[in-house]
Amino acid sequence: MFPHILELGIRKNVSIQLNAFTLSATEGLRIYHIIDGKFEWRINQRQYVFYPGDVAVILPGQEFGSENGVLEIGSFSWIHISIQKKNNGEIVLGKWSGLSESESLAIGKILLLNNSPALVKFNEAGKIFKCIQSEITGQEIGYVTRVNHQIDELLIQLTRQLTRQVNPGRDFPKTFMNLEQALRQNLAHQWTVEEMAALVGLGTTLFTERVKSYSGFSPINYLINIRISEAIKLLKRPDISVTDIALDTGFYSSQHFSTTFKKLTGYRPSEFRKIHLRNK
Amino acid sequence: MECIITIELGTNAVRVFAFDMNGHVIGSLKGYYPTFHTEPDYSEQDPEQIFITMLYVLKNLLNERIHPKKYKVACICFSAAMHSVLAVDKNGNPLGNAITWADNRAKKEAQELNNSPLGDTIYTATGTPIHPMSPLLKICWIKNSDKERFRLTSKFISIKTYIIQQLTGEYFTDYSIASATGLLNIHKVQWEPDALAYAGITADRLAEPAPVFTTSGKLKKAYQNSLGLSPDTKIIIGSSDGCMATLGDGVKGEGKASITIEDSGAVRVMGDKVLQDKQRRFFNYLLTEDCYVSGGPTNNGGIIFEWFTRQFGFFRDPFDIEHSMQELMAEAAKVPVGSDGLLFLPYLLGERAPIWNANARGMYFGLNIKHERNHFVRATIEGILYEIYSIGKTLEEHRDIKSISINGSFGTIPFCTQMLADIFNKPVRLRRNFHSVSYGAYLISATAMGIYKSLDDAARTVELPDVYRPQKQNHTVYAAYFNIFERLSTQLSDAFEAIVNLQQLKA
Repeated sequence: MFPHILELGIRKNVSIQLNAFTLSATEGLRIYHIIDGKFEWRINQRQYVFYPGDVAVILPGQEFGSENGVLEIGSFSWIHISIQKKNNGEIVLGKWSGLSESESLAIGKILLLNNSPALVKFNEAGKIFKCIQSEITGQEIGYVTRVNHQIDELLIQLTRQLTRQVNPGRDFPKTFMNLEQALRQNLAHQWTVEEMAALVGLGTTLFTERVKSYSGFSPINYLINIRISEAIKLLKRPDISVTDIALDTGFYSSQHFSTTFKKLTGYRPSEFRKIHLRNK
Repeated sequence: MECIITIELGTNAVRVFAFDMNGHVIGSLKGYYPTFHTEPDYSEQDPEQIFITMLYVLKNLLNERIHPKKYKVACICFSAAMHSVLAVDKNGNPLGNAITWADNRAKKEAQELNNSPLGDTIYTATGTPIHPMSPLLKICWIKNSDKERFRLTSKFISIKTYIIQQLTGEYFTDYSIASATGLLNIHKVQWEPDALAYAGITADRLAEPAPVFTTSGKLKKAYQNSLGLSPDTKIIIGSSDGCMATLGDGVKGEGKASITIEDSGAVRVMGDKVLQDKQRRFFNYLLTEDCYVSGGPTNNGGIIFEWFTRQFGFFRDPFDIEHSMQELMAEAAKVPVGSDGLLFLPYLLGERAPIWNANARGMYFGLNIKHERNHFVRATIEGILYEIYSIGKTLEEHRDIKSISINGSFGTIPFCTQMLADIFNKPVRLRRNFHSVSYGAYLISATAMGIYKSLDDAARTVELPDVYRPQKQNHTVYAAYFNIFERLSTQLSDAFEAIVNLQQLKA
């Protein structure tokens, strides 16, 4: 019924157990919610301490466990969800999800980019876990749909909490810097406004308004700014072809690059390159 | 109909204004560009992104406001933040990012020169304080720590020189920007041999200094086409943002001072004589061969109140700092003048004038059990403005200041303007919805085009109709507290150094 739920569980540990929680990596997305106790876990080579209400998020392929395999006293619940990893590294949810394709992509992207595996005081997760468990045990009419809804809900809340934790909604200059960095790191990606807004943790309308008043540009025009600036730097180096520059900086094609570049600067990229490399 | 375009290459953004020939604003647009801090003391900007952002904004303004109304652009005049350094190779291509005024990597170089007798000679000759902001010391840093870049560099130029060179192909640096490099002798208006020798360069590795009215060649054909401008559009090299703001407020002549408070701030006077200060607290920059803009800069302006708001404001909507700041200002207004004895030193970013102590740090002083949250809000604003006053007061040791003009987003908030008038005990003037830097650029353009006979004539036409008058009883209270503020800022230097040592240990 739920092939995408790899594991669902709750554990109450009354005494310290040795070799009970060793490091492992899996292909699923793993989410743990602490009910009581205190746990020192290692995620992706870093040590974190979790208290009641906290949530651990382990991405596919990341190592997770307790360093010496010790499981401390306390209780926690968890879910392992299977998600698809595309060739370009993006992660998407499966067909079971009711999320739209672009929202699903955005969630995958935020999980990858805002890589902070420890969410502090995120009790909504515990409530959702409980609800999923009782739906599965009860098997009342409509339970399949409700379980899948709850998983969607979990991922939405998780992503929102994550962006709030990274961008607490006070420091727009800093938040904008983070966004700008994310764009630069992946300039070849066909960014949408929805994705950018989700990274900052705002709805698209408010996001566009804030970016416009802060930067003077719409989000997409600001992105074009970065693209052309990076392209100029590459054009001034002789060792990379104009087509490669176009694709590396996020243009669909060298034609698209050439048109955009000429509209702004008056030069075709190849002309521009010739002028600036004349003495070499 | 003709019009004048001004382009300000500021710290965080480019601002483009269009004026008609009478100085009325036709339209304006801004475009942000980022500052990169790849290392703790580094502050860099990408010259290509600045160029592209400038082009983009200029093009939008032309297409939206100028071309549809058939204005003919007579000239484009530039202003820019001071102290930037960009190394370019023999093809004129940047070797890495531009280093901005806020960059502190040349700390060691600054300390060395400050402790050497040459420091006095160079400061007196060039008018630029010996501080890591100075391009002289940044070039020294490149020479000492980035030898490959130093070797490949054909010219060390400013961001503005680069932008204008991209547009016209010619290298010029205006007198104002040149006089803020620590390399120009401001008395003789030529490169200072001692400073050049100290930087390890010859004059041909700098752009040629030229008067602010200079026209830099012709706009390249490609840009004429993409912008829709005629080949006879004059590109005027212009001045620095500081000099432009002072001119734009009409501060030429006796008895006037101009205060700018944006993120950072400055107090400036203008005159035909250099301010000689034994303690080297002031800058002296050139507007023209016989006109000096002198004063002192602070690091800790509106940015400190923004910091306070982010920590303690209410933020009903995400990122709505403006509204949160307004709410805090309203709270501050309910607290008595002087915050019932709570004092704030605003040195969160270290300080330049007048104490020139990079290790200075912030402090709330005089707390007692009756102080409430609101007292902190008001004390923070008062502290920021006491610091402005401390610069003004040291300037008054040299010049008689009768009236003050204020510009910049923080200083022109009515609550702050009134407080400044009270603290200074002088009338403070301003014009609402006015951008002093751009207006200064308009005045230079209009003078270059013969609309005014001289900058003096141009400056005389500036009207600042809004006046905030000092309230005597408030001044008495502020003056008493300022006395303690001043003592704290100088007497704590040992403790500042000790705490900074510990803070840096932890970092």
